[in-house]
Amino acid sequence: MAAMFSQNPVMNGPNYSFSDAPRTANGEFREHRFNPYSDNGGSTLAIAGADFTIVAGDTRSTSGYSINSRYTPKVFKIGGTTSSQDDATILLSVVGFAADGEALRDRLDAICKIYRYRHGKPMSVTACAKRLSTILYQKRFFPYYVHAILGGLDEEGKGAVFSYDPVGSYEREQCRAGGAAASLITPFLDNQVNFKNQYVPGSGTGHDLKEREVVPLVRRDAEILVKDAFDGAVERHIEVGDGLQMMTITKDGIEEVLLPLKRD
Amino acid sequence: MDSLVSRYSRPAYEENEVAFRDEEQQDLELMGAAPPLSLKFAMPPIAQPSSWLRAATDDRSNPDCPIKIAHGTTTLAFRFQGGIIVATDSRATAGNWIASQTVKKVIEINSVLLGTMAGGAADCQYWLAWLGMQCRLHELRHKRRISVAAASKILANLVYNYKGMGLSMGTMCAGVTKEEGPALYYVDSDGTRLAGNLFCVGSGQTFAYGVLDAEYRYDLSDEEAVELGRRSILAATHRDAYSGGFINLYHVKEAGWVKLGFEDTNPIFWKTKLEKGEFTNVTADLN
Amino acid sequence: MFMARSEYDRGINTFSPEGRLFQVEYSLEAIKLGSTAIGVATSEGVILGVEKRVTSTLLETSSVEKIVEIDRHIGCAMSGLQADARSMVEHARVESQSHAFNYAEPLRVESATQAICDLALRFGEGADGEETVMSRPFGVALLIAGYDEDGPQLYHAEPSGTFYRYDAKAIGSGSEGAQAELQNEYHKSLTIEDAETLVLKTLKQVMEEKLDSKNVQLASVTKGKGFRIYTDEEMAVVVERLPAN
Repeated sequence: MAAMFSQNPVMNGPNYSFSDAPRTANGEFREHRFNPYSDNGGSTLAIAGADFTIVAGDTRSTSGYSINSRYTPKVFKIGGTTSSQDDATILLSVVGFAADGEALRDRLDAICKIYRYRHGKPMSVTACAKRLSTILYQKRFFPYYVHAILGGLDEEGKGAVFSYDPVGSYEREQCRAGGAAASLITPFLDNQVNFKNQYVPGSGTGHDLKEREVVPLVRRDAEILVKDAFDGAVERHIEVGDGLQMMTITKDGIEEVLLPLKRD
Repeated sequence: MDSLVSRYSRPAYEENEVAFRDEEQQDLELMGAAPPLSLKFAMPPIAQPSSWLRAATDDRSNPDCPIKIAHGTTTLAFRFQGGIIVATDSRATAGNWIASQTVKKVIEINSVLLGTMAGGAADCQYWLAWLGMQCRLHELRHKRRISVAAASKILANLVYNYKGMGLSMGTMCAGVTKEEGPALYYVDSDGTRLAGNLFCVGSGQTFAYGVLDAEYRYDLSDEEAVELGRRSILAATHRDAYSGGFINLYHVKEAGWVKLGFEDTNPIFWKTKLEKGEFTNVTADLN
Repeated sequence: MFMARSEYDRGINTFSPEGRLFQVEYSLEAIKLGSTAIGVATSEGVILGVEKRVTSTLLETSSVEKIVEIDRHIGCAMSGLQADARSMVEHARVESQSHAFNYAEPLRVESATQAICDLALRFGEGADGEETVMSRPFGVALLIAGYDEDGPQLYHAEPSGTFYRYDAKAIGSGSEGAQAELQNEYHKSLTIEDAETLVLKTLKQVMEEKLDSKNVQLASVTKGKGFRIYTDEEMAVVVERLPAN
């Protein structure tokens, strides 16, 4: 029966011919490459203090060697009650593939807003941190190509920074740099925030050296540190530059400043 | 191949509907208090998601992969008369880059069960937290603590369902129950599940086994056991470039686990060398 | 000579012309056949109490389970069709665990109650794509007790899917008399011990059998100890404390 109608497009639908589909040399169908990602460069950085958290990112957006935008923010306010996010208490920075980053930011923000309706309270930063981890893992087999960092104040009012890999493993840290210049900024941070390889002067030589005691940074020093870190990164990395977007969370809310970086 | 043909032979309207339904599913999830536990994961819209995923995320098969997932580890756990010692390093590497020196590779499943983390950090974190939830539900439904055997089996069955999809985890489940005594199981993402007295997992496992096998006895005292765990990890951090950072130590007893420390390897190394006279191949002279 | 309602109580999703859903209203009646359950909230914690209706001397009383744990900080007492309660409790447990998994924090008591009530109207044919769970409304009411950042709370959830928060509430066959008694006796400064006594005293008045430590069950939810079902020894102590009359 089937053969009877095989020539009749009306009865059998249009005659698509699979024999015309592109084939590889050994006769198999050729599937076109699936390249869903690109890398938009840039760098982010977050530092937790005793009663504040700074989340910062440069504002350059690149594609290969082209600079496509000099102002594309990488740091976003999350979980406010309005679209202006004036009363937000959590910051998310994303670096990697900007489209995935924005999709992730929108998803997390929507979840925070719905949480507020369902549970009648704003989401704490620790709850948000765990939820972000599960959001990322939901796409374990088709990951968001992003390095996310979440910042806020914890239940005790202390600064909190959580860093993520693309599929959602996370850790609370004192500071974290992400993105293209992470390898340039991190060693500087290790030394200046966690006082790695700093010793108390005159405490001895060789094995007798005493490590410098780690104390939380004051806000002004941390802000200078962030600017210095980015100035350094701009100097040595092509994908970083143009502007530094720096947001600081304190118990009074979020302050945002935009500082110039070199534009070459 | 068949799936590819069927994909293109599907009428266009139906294809749109499928995409639309996926979105709807996501929205439903968004509206819900939490995503459902039916474990629906987003999939790339291609015929062979697993091979694409490997090309995109597996730095061993493709060193230029765009997404680098944290790897590299030494973890160990062993049974002895006083319970179970669990010890790990704390380094996470992505390629040659040390992504973190402070990773908590011992995951507290609940107050009596521990899991260790080797392989994909997210896979271990997510599924061991998920296991914690399953254990708690078991407890609520059956009014008694889950056995370590059952808990490890739940995890093994789960990862077996995802076999070939690219999960990467090598974990040990350690716990002490009244029925089983100290119980230790090794579970990995291939679906292997083994009961045993001692396991080392990760890129530094061979170095850890070397020390552990030499000194291990079931009748070790608590202090000896803790020191053996620490020394085995130290050996691995010394010889395996992918291991390092801090030594994370836990002791599991019937009343629950006790955290013994998260100690920097560097001072421990010098202490071991200078005070115990080990590592004599390394010069003590810093100049 | 049929009343209008008989025409409209067959279909499970059909409103009567007066705007009533009879099957849902009937399900509320089913609860009035159930054993009495009482909850009392104090500033220190919540006490739940149920009567066990020991219908035979051969019945193993410990197998009558009318107070169950939902999570460490939430428990509930039931009255009505117990089997129906099991699926509601299971749902609440999964919801609570799922919340803890996704947000690393305990589920709020009100949210847990809301989750249970979301299930209550999932009967009948269901809308397109929506999963239906049951062919009829639940025949059970729950008293949900819990402790969260807002302190101790007591909720009453009905098969109609509505819930209210109470200081003290009685459900089941003896609920009318018991509620009146609670109305008289409740005050804000009750201690946990007072609440234990109040619950048992009220149960005693509405129970057909003579109250003893075997045919009633108490449970508490407090900040420090979470949800806890009283052991036989603890029950005996509280029953001992009751004024004899």
